[in-house]
Amino acid sequence: MAPIVLEGESLTQRFGGLVAMAEVDFHLKRGEILGIIGPNGAGKSTLLNIISGIYVPSSGEVRLEGRRINGVAPHQIVKRGIARTFQSSRLFGDLSVLDNVIIGRHIHTRSGVLDAIFRRRRAEAELAEAAAHAEGLLKAVSRGLYDQRHRAAAELPQADRRRLEIARALASDPKVLLLDEPSSGMDDADTDALMDDIRAVCAARPDLSLMIIEHDMRLVAALPHRVIVLDYGQKLADGPFEEVRLIPRVQEAYLGRRGASHAQG
Amino acid sequence: MAHASAPPPARPLGGLLIVALVEIVGAAALREFLLAEDWRWVLVLLAAFGAVLVALERRPALEARIAEAFARHRRAATLLGIAIALVFPFVLEKSSYALHLCVIAQLYAVLALALNFQLGSANIPNFATGASYGIGAYASALLALNFEVSFWLALPAAAVVATIFGFLLGLPSMRTKDSYLALVTIAFGVVIHQLLNNLEVTGGPNGLVGIPAPELFGHSFASPLAVLGYELPSQANFYYLSAVLVLIAIVFAGRLHDSRVGLAWNALRADELAARCQGINTTWYKVLAFAVDAFLAGFAGTVYAFYVGFISPDNFTFLVSVTIMTMVIAGGMDNILGVIVGAVLLTLLPEKLRAFSDYRILFFGVTVIAFLMIRPQGIFPQRLRRYGG
Ligand SMILES: Nc1ncnc2c1ncn2[C@@H]1O[C@H](COP(=O)(O)OP(=O)(O)O)[C@@H](O)[C@H]1O
Ligand SMILES: [Mg+2]
Repeated sequence: MAPIVLEGESLTQRFGGLVAMAEVDFHLKRGEILGIIGPNGAGKSTLLNIISGIYVPSSGEVRLEGRRINGVAPHQIVKRGIARTFQSSRLFGDLSVLDNVIIGRHIHTRSGVLDAIFRRRRAEAELAEAAAHAEGLLKAVSRGLYDQRHRAAAELPQADRRRLEIARALASDPKVLLLDEPSSGMDDADTDALMDDIRAVCAARPDLSLMIIEHDMRLVAALPHRVIVLDYGQKLADGPFEEVRLIPRVQEAYLGRRGASHAQG
Repeated sequence: MAHASAPPPARPLGGLLIVALVEIVGAAALREFLLAEDWRWVLVLLAAFGAVLVALERRPALEARIAEAFARHRRAATLLGIAIALVFPFVLEKSSYALHLCVIAQLYAVLALALNFQLGSANIPNFATGASYGIGAYASALLALNFEVSFWLALPAAAVVATIFGFLLGLPSMRTKDSYLALVTIAFGVVIHQLLNNLEVTGGPNGLVGIPAPELFGHSFASPLAVLGYELPSQANFYYLSAVLVLIAIVFAGRLHDSRVGLAWNALRADELAARCQGINTTWYKVLAFAVDAFLAGFAGTVYAFYVGFISPDNFTFLVSVTIMTMVIAGGMDNILGVIVGAVLLTLLPEKLRAFSDYRILFFGVTVIAFLMIRPQGIFPQRLRRYGG
């Protein structure tokens, strides 16, 4: 049995009167791919924001390898080994693809202002090393992305932007990688390619644990070892997708809401 | 078009020629502009500059060719640039006014480079660069007047004092959002101005007088500078001093831009939340930008104080900060050359438009807007970094 890397205990997140997350427990094992599904507004992104330190939960606790991380600043959480992507991609658009990944190496580089000015050779060597590492990473994640490494990130097509966000997150050598709807805005072919890329990333890093929020049921059925279903901030189910999809409450939440929103829209 | 799409042949001589031509023509145009007395000639030069900008904007290939030539012949370009800067005072017909404008333009270039760390690299609006400039000037002047500290010691001391104030100014950025931060910097500038105006040690509204000119190896900067029998006006001393300062500022700016720190600033400019999620302590990097800005501004302030020998609070008003900001924006955010060109242009322009007397400011504004319409990203916009080649 693989040990638990990340766990949450009765996580609650209130925004004024709104309860976006209520008493949610979860755990993630080493090397595991955990899917998070649920209708829009269920609290999926909120959960990722809590884990990555952007939100401080109203109550409850998040532990990474047994150490409490809620209340720790986002940039410190990256140092402890959690990296993430965003639902609406948040690249550094006016920087090159390569620079985006080099910035992802931030925690593995040291040079400050004085080093940059007075110990330039050292600072340059360090940055060159980060650049070489970043190039290798880009090549491994996607050859097409590597070929575009000197373009501005904002000029990339949608699918490549999502890939770049994953590469940038991987640059910090995380233990846990959080992906928020990586396939959003992609067609089926792009999604298939993305799944292959994610599988390759995981195959190369057997210890990496993944939490992935997804709407595309094909991906959810194929990729995660296990899924958590959220609805109205509550956890409805937790288990392998083939089992979870049969639970009536899950079907209700999904199909019922879908139907209702279709009727509205 | 077919020509542009073909791979550029390696023409080392062609590249060198481009570098030399651009630098020499640029320097010659600057000389004409500095010495121009007839307002029609000023307008002709401005129009020519505008035409060059239009050409660059219309023909990106031309701009790319020039940029590539400079990138390939960096050392030659630097050496020629330094040589031109050294010779420049000798072609100004001993005009102390032209040399004075050069000194002021170079000090503003340093200030604009200082602010560029924040505004250009990190997109932090700071309306207090003028205040840091003033802190540097007053700190060094007080040291010189009260403790007879020499210019050369006062220079680093004042920069340290300004940096400490810069840190203090940066502290609120730990708590406030950027738009409020802009207000904090405005308030800081006003407070400093009020303090200088009302404190007894700073001489109140009368300021400080009798700041002694620097000396180097027994040569006073107040006396004319004789080189090989050719005598330059005393302003030439400060021309060379501020040129060295500009060089230092360029080296600082270049090294920081090409470092992990420059990348972190750019990251927080593009998306602060995403930057935090890459492990960047954005608060610290913001405070750092304030400190670096204040450090260079403090340097410039010291040179200014010892140059004019008399400073008062009105030299360091809010308007000075806004002017520096305009230089950065019009010149080109996060582009060292652009920021310097912006500073020189905006320093000289109001002087050269004196013929328009009452309409001077109007004409100044129209010119800046016209240049920005031609080049919306600034005269020389930010470029992507290249590695290994
Ligand atoms: N910062 C916030 N302030 C107020 N409400 C928020 C905030 N973040 C999320 N919410 C609310 O929490 C609920 C869950 O949102 P979210 O986690 O983004 O859902 P999703 O499952 O679609 O990712 C929504 O009702 C949303 O409006
Ligand atoms: Mg979401």
